[in-house]
Amino acid sequence: MKTIKQIFGGNLQQYTMVLALALLAIIFNVVSDGRMLTSSNIQNLISGNAYVLILAIGMVMVIVIGQIDLSVGSVAGFVGMVVAITCTNYGWPWWLGLLTGLATGALIGAWHGFWLAKIGIPGFITTLAGMMIFRGLVIWISKSISVPVPDQFQVLGAGYLPEWGPAWTGMNNSTLLLGILAGGWFVASQLRHRSHALARGVESPLWVALVRIALILAVVGYVTWLFGSGRPGTSFPIPGLILVALVVIYHVITQRTRFGRHIYAVGGNKAAAALSGVNTARTYFLVMLNMSFLAAVAGILFVGRATAAGPSDGTMWELDAIAAVFIGGAAVSGGIGTVVGSMVGGLVMAVLNSGLMLMGVGADQTQVIKGLVLLAAVAFDVYNKQQGRPSILGHLMRSFGRDATSTKAADREPQESVEVPAATGPVVDAADTMPETVEAARRES
Amino acid sequence: MKFRTASVLVTALAASLALTACGGGREGTTDDGASQMASGSAAAAEGFAPDATIGVALPWLGTQNWKEAEVMFTEQLTEAGFSPLVQAADNKVPQQQQQIEAMIEQGAKAIVVGPVDGTQLGSVLDKAADAGVAVIGYDRLIENTDAVDAIVQFGSVRTGELQGQSLLDGLEASGEGPYNIELFGGGPADPNAPNFFTGAMSVLQPKIDDGTLVVVSGQTDFTQVATQDWDNSKAQARMDSLLSGFYADKQIDGVLSPNDGIARAILTSSEQAGQDLPIVTGLDAENESIVSIAAGEQYSTVAKPTQDLVAKTVELIQALQKGEDLPAADETADNGVKEVDVYALSPVVVTLDNAAEVFADDPDRLALLEG
Repeated sequence: MKTIKQIFGGNLQQYTMVLALALLAIIFNVVSDGRMLTSSNIQNLISGNAYVLILAIGMVMVIVIGQIDLSVGSVAGFVGMVVAITCTNYGWPWWLGLLTGLATGALIGAWHGFWLAKIGIPGFITTLAGMMIFRGLVIWISKSISVPVPDQFQVLGAGYLPEWGPAWTGMNNSTLLLGILAGGWFVASQLRHRSHALARGVESPLWVALVRIALILAVVGYVTWLFGSGRPGTSFPIPGLILVALVVIYHVITQRTRFGRHIYAVGGNKAAAALSGVNTARTYFLVMLNMSFLAAVAGILFVGRATAAGPSDGTMWELDAIAAVFIGGAAVSGGIGTVVGSMVGGLVMAVLNSGLMLMGVGADQTQVIKGLVLLAAVAFDVYNKQQGRPSILGHLMRSFGRDATSTKAADREPQESVEVPAATGPVVDAADTMPETVEAARRES
Repeated sequence: MKFRTASVLVTALAASLALTACGGGREGTTDDGASQMASGSAAAAEGFAPDATIGVALPWLGTQNWKEAEVMFTEQLTEAGFSPLVQAADNKVPQQQQQIEAMIEQGAKAIVVGPVDGTQLGSVLDKAADAGVAVIGYDRLIENTDAVDAIVQFGSVRTGELQGQSLLDGLEASGEGPYNIELFGGGPADPNAPNFFTGAMSVLQPKIDDGTLVVVSGQTDFTQVATQDWDNSKAQARMDSLLSGFYADKQIDGVLSPNDGIARAILTSSEQAGQDLPIVTGLDAENESIVSIAAGEQYSTVAKPTQDLVAKTVELIQALQKGEDLPAADETADNGVKEVDVYALSPVVVTLDNAAEVFADDPDRLALLEG
């Protein structure tokens, strides 16, 4: 047991959701006679859920500042329709339509941010209004008729990386390259991590590092093989690549920048944050702006995959994104939640959906099961808190606090825990926590 | 500590690798590329196993005709020796996309698709074509892709013509014109809905032009009269506002309704507004509307016997299974990418006069008429 702890570095309870995800995938794989963990199914899983996961990235930031955004589905649908109409009806080139769509998203975000941050209308109301406004606009501008988009968008929403190089590798070489880059990155940061630990005089046996490296290589290799060995012409999907890039960027923003710390500070205790000199209005504004921008990205990927924008696109997407965020461990009261955690939450939902479909379970029962999972995931967290035991998140916070005070190591190695793009599995970082200032602020309140 | 979670995941996946070594990965992925090149109609040139899995992706089960389709497909495909996989998508496009992908994954040889939105399945159906799966559109046109082999549906313009004619007949039988009427359309995301309306207007427009029919609200464009998502409550709300806005001092004589649910919403609204019940058309011959027709409330409905549609679809699947050519299509339709073969069946108008005759072979509905 001690050995396992050394390898995994402590408390296994922290990884409940990650374990649940892996377990779900395995169970469904067994029940569906090995149809779950196949190249095509995993590729479908990623490209079919990229839009929800991208929404969840923005949504977790909104929820951390203690707000909610109900408009994301309508905004995504509206942007998709704007793109389709500018390209198809007005004959604009696809890239101009794409940029127009992203700009539209940012503009809508600024609109929400304005009402929330400057006027002080609660986010719930602002975005409820947005949900109606933009749903109405989609139907209005489209005259309720679906509009096709140019083929280039299909590449964005459902495309694959190119095939090249030797055939003897037996898989898509673009995917293989990504896998090698990811594996190399993990190994390098593992070694760097160990040398830092040794430099600080922390005991760090060589065999632990080696076992970890072996395990990391095994999983990266497996994932690479899973994505790369599909039908010729398929690879790690392009929407997945966009998703991973966004996860990396937003992980760094939320965990390693001053703006990120402001988000957690404002969400944890707005008054304390304001008194500490955080510009709360600016933080609110930027987070809302960012949410609608990401909704635009999600909308564009979706119409790419669907090959057309429809008047009812985006209906209820906000709730899928919110569910992913809460399963991923965010707190309704704000201040707690991570991008990577939300990705795990979103993937749990995606795997459930996919697995139940492979088993031939209908949409009705799938809804019931997903509802129960959401409730169970949050209840588990609450129960642990009531028992006086720290919750999963409590563990995360405590370990972070101890580490930060004893070493301050995290600040010195800003890139260390960044996930590498091709590691498509959810790699949750134990340093995904809120800054200690917020924790301190919470204790006072 | 940074890699703790990563490491846990590693073990979990390593374990799954061990457990699934025989199941994962490469199966079904060794296409030689030939089937990828020829999408669409190449699907089943050499047929497939007589007990193959057949996927049926329906949009939802919220109206009676879809529920019937679910039951009948399950029964008839089973009877024909196939193993059916029937799923409904809760009217959500992403859900339907994923269900179709799951069916491909489960090795379906043919997939019957009643699309939520016929334009939004392009890349998913391309995958089906790549995997050599035949795709048959059911009840609605599938647009914007060449990966569709055939469409089985009731002629939708024809359906609209029947609805328009039936409204006219009903009005003429009820007394002297001119008649005050209102128009309702179906869900705009459903490619049939504009066709129903076009068909109906081809009959009604001349009568509007010569003054026999008066659309009091002046709302005669499809976009003005459409009912988002075929949602009855939206139709009822529209009818409420039409009646309070335009009919405070007038009697409404007739309403063109695209289906039975909307027809009943219109009747409810009229009743609540204190109007005499207008002549209202319908579609689908739902149980409640049969009762309503029997009671002299709803004037007519158009039956598109789900039975016929399912039987025709199963017949096509059996031809594909044997590797035969499909029988000659009744017409073709431009889906934006190619001309798709359409097997168009003829619907039937049902009124109080002929209902017993139309449903002679349908004991359930006959019982409703008598009850």
